[in-house]
Amino acid sequence: MPSWSGFSYIVTNLARFIRPGEVTFSGVNSTPPMMACLLAKRAYDFDFTYINVAGGVQPTPSKIPLSSSDPVLAEGSTAIFANEDFYDLCTRGGMDLCFLGAAQVDGLGRTNVSAIGDWHNPKVRLPGGGGGAVMLPTARRAVTWRTEHSKRTMVEKLDFITAAGGMAGVVTPIAVFVKRDGKLALESWHPEATLDEVKARTGFAFDAGGAKPTPAPSAREVEALRSLDPQGRFEGDASVALR
Amino acid sequence: MTQKLMSLSEMVERVPNGASLALGGSFLHRGPFAFVRELIRQGKRDLEIVKQSPGYDIDILCRAGCVKKARAGIVAMEGNFGLAPWYRKAVEKKQIVLEEHACMTLTAGLRASAFGVPFQPVGGVHGSDLAALNKWASIKDPYGSGEDVWVIPAIKPDIAVIHANEVNELGDTRIYGTYNWDRIMTRAAKQVFVVAEKLDSVESFQKVPELTLVPSFMVQAMSIVPNGAWPGSCWPLYEVDYPAVEEYMDTAGSLEAHKARAPEIAERAHA
Repeated sequence: MPSWSGFSYIVTNLARFIRPGEVTFSGVNSTPPMMACLLAKRAYDFDFTYINVAGGVQPTPSKIPLSSSDPVLAEGSTAIFANEDFYDLCTRGGMDLCFLGAAQVDGLGRTNVSAIGDWHNPKVRLPGGGGGAVMLPTARRAVTWRTEHSKRTMVEKLDFITAAGGMAGVVTPIAVFVKRDGKLALESWHPEATLDEVKARTGFAFDAGGAKPTPAPSAREVEALRSLDPQGRFEGDASVALR
Repeated sequence: MTQKLMSLSEMVERVPNGASLALGGSFLHRGPFAFVRELIRQGKRDLEIVKQSPGYDIDILCRAGCVKKARAGIVAMEGNFGLAPWYRKAVEKKQIVLEEHACMTLTAGLRASAFGVPFQPVGGVHGSDLAALNKWASIKDPYGSGEDVWVIPAIKPDIAVIHANEVNELGDTRIYGTYNWDRIMTRAAKQVFVVAEKLDSVESFQKVPELTLVPSFMVQAMSIVPNGAWPGSCWPLYEVDYPAVEEYMDTAGSLEAHKARAPEIAERAHA
């Protein structure tokens, strides 16, 4: 049976949030969701509308860019749906699934991408607001990822609430969370990790009812990711470790 | 008629210290980077930079000490390079003032200016600490839906500076691929400066006027700088020069060496 790498675990489990017929968006600074959307197009039999921050609508890019906002992501597109268009689509309720970045996530699925420490005296100044504050509360579902699963990233209390509204899903190298009763609940864990490990490495308490090891990648998921990253360049750059 | 067309240095000479500049493009893509480097060469000071997703531009301007304030949504080098290091240091050491936005709240402020109203409603923002941080107000729907809406005060840059594919001698401006946030910037700012890859004929624009993003009467200055978005991309002409960005990011490297490699200098040397 095929096994997971840290990178394939994140990309594939992000792709598994994509549903038939939905409008699905990937943005800036978002290589794993960009890969997830392209993987879903190759691995799943259903259709969905893939739009992205490069203005692409159902694009057929001739290559996979290092930058998830590269204009090649609009290649083959039959329209340019520029920034104001996809934000307005989101705030009027037309964005079914939106992938958004986060530095810290709390148990309500709120995010901090602004600063570590006090905003006015930051230990680390992070990239900042971006799409979150507007898209997280208005997208039908938003999903984020973290390449590090720790009490620093999955926190009891955010240093700053950049965006509220609650993630519908969070994928880390060892776990997949979904929203249940307004809070993040564990859906599944990496088969090489354990429920106890996920609990020990998470800063907030969560419901784990019904959670189980994550199903292995399908042959088509494995093949789709390999076709997107034949040299393992993205996998290497992401350098996602289980522990 | 043709006095709008000028050299890059003449264009930058029109920018006073302390000006508020909206810069087009996004991260490493189609930014007015030759213009930004010329700001540094001319020693501009106390600039306010307005951009939803700045990266290289805000970083190099912070590195050279040209910035007083940034009004931005998300700041990063992107494309595997992570945080913008000199910008980050400038904020952490309080060398610049940051007004942190969501990309769409910044856009709402620009829309207010573009629409000629003092503030502009924006969707979302509910539950975000950004609202209190920026002292944004929320208003109840005056028409009785019961919904509360956040409103953002107008943001009116002095000059929108965009990097475009083509202009004509009148100033009409075309962009290929996504125009990112450039359209609203050009409607919000008091003046529009365009740096373009190429000068095209008026006739060519007359054939497909629907491709023109900015009409000539809104443009005050143009300059032709091939490869001017270097080390970023300009679709469909060239991609990001990743080795050059890596060199820029190398803290052991000098800013002078990086600027000396820029195409606008190479052009001048050949002229």
